[in-house]
Amino acid sequence: MDMMVSTLQLQRAVTEQLRREAAIKRIPVSAAVADIVKYINEHEQEDCLLVGFSSQKVNPFREKSSCTVL
Amino acid sequence: MAADTAVAASPEDTLESLLREAEALKQKLEEERQKLNDVSLCAVGARLEAISFPALKLRRVLKGHQAKVLCSDWSPDKRHVVSSSQDGKVLVWDAFTAARELTVPTPSTWVMACAYAPSGALVAAGGLDNKVAVFPVPPPADEDAALRRRTVATHTSYMSCCLFPNTDRQIVTGSGDGTCALWDVESGQLLQGFQAHGADVMALDLAPSDMGDTFASGGCDRAALVWDMRTGQPVQAFDTHDSDVNSVRYHPSGDSILTGSDDSCCRLFDLRADREVARYAKDSLIFGVNSVEWSLSGRLLFAGYSDYTACAWDALRGARVCVLCGHEHRVTRVQLSPDGTALCTASWDATLRIWA
Repeated sequence: MDMMVSTLQLQRAVTEQLRREAAIKRIPVSAAVADIVKYINEHEQEDCLLVGFSSQKVNPFREKSSCTVL
Repeated sequence: MAADTAVAASPEDTLESLLREAEALKQKLEEERQKLNDVSLCAVGARLEAISFPALKLRRVLKGHQAKVLCSDWSPDKRHVVSSSQDGKVLVWDAFTAARELTVPTPSTWVMACAYAPSGALVAAGGLDNKVAVFPVPPPADEDAALRRRTVATHTSYMSCCLFPNTDRQIVTGSGDGTCALWDVESGQLLQGFQAHGADVMALDLAPSDMGDTFASGGCDRAALVWDMRTGQPVQAFDTHDSDVNSVRYHPSGDSILTGSDDSCCRLFDLRADREVARYAKDSLIFGVNSVEWSLSGRLLFAGYSDYTACAWDALRGARVCVLCGHEHRVTRVQLSPDGTALCTASWDATLRIWA
């Protein structure tokens, strides 16, 4: 009996979850993709790994120059 | 007793009717998702200009672990990195100089997860000991960090991933027991449990919004779930992967999640379209993806593979643009520094590497 009750409870939770998911409002993929592209275009210039550094001096991980000023 | 009341309260619910409804809902979900699938991301991306990707160079090699490095995390100061290893140690590095600054031994091997708190003054770590523990970094003067180590929470199986949800006071963990949990750091009290995964939870990521009310998880049930932190309920589920989901990362915009899986494929799921919108895979890539990451703008995505490499992909065109070679064993972790200037990779070859 306990097994049956717990199986029932489990299935009830699963079904309720599916009900919630089915009720989600969705947008077309084309609209979602347009927003992804827009976000990337707006932030592309700040992306060092994409556009590089304005000067290598700005890169904290650049190779240390072999000459040092004493 | 409570269960009996619940059964009596709705006598129309039988296992059969619930199963029937679940099947009908699944089909409806699939149809609804398919209806809005009017274009693919990469079809749109193909019309965009190809990126001229600057070659990432290997800048630092962090050597000091005695065994597989299983996890790492950048400090919010953009300079330090914490790493955890199969050797049972948690190390803190200065990534600028490649110097090891702190060694914290733990009572267990396989420290599978480590994370910096938002203040940068606290680190959480744990793994095969089923526990998550915290210690201050750097430890107060003349004190041993290991002695300041304090257990916050215990799962019934290994702790595979952890993060601080925009506050030093709470930790979210994922575990081999199939649950995620939100804990109070100070009291060790369980604030919220999250149960819906059908198998081990492998990865967590926090939504980038300031609200910080949702997070995503991935697991060995091949699913990625999006959770509401307040209610403890899953909000969305994506289950198109063919194998374990090892890693999950929110796009910087917060509107989609990227997953990496043992099926050697990365997938992008848009939260508002509620479906998979892109796939990043090649026939020649046959090894699993252990970790995924975005560049600052979300144009590039990075994936660490079991074939000892990490790759960069153009997220919009779906093309691989760069392969990072150097590691001598599987790459377990790929993470961007908080300012987006460098990438840190961790590997079973016992090293971490910084690329910029």
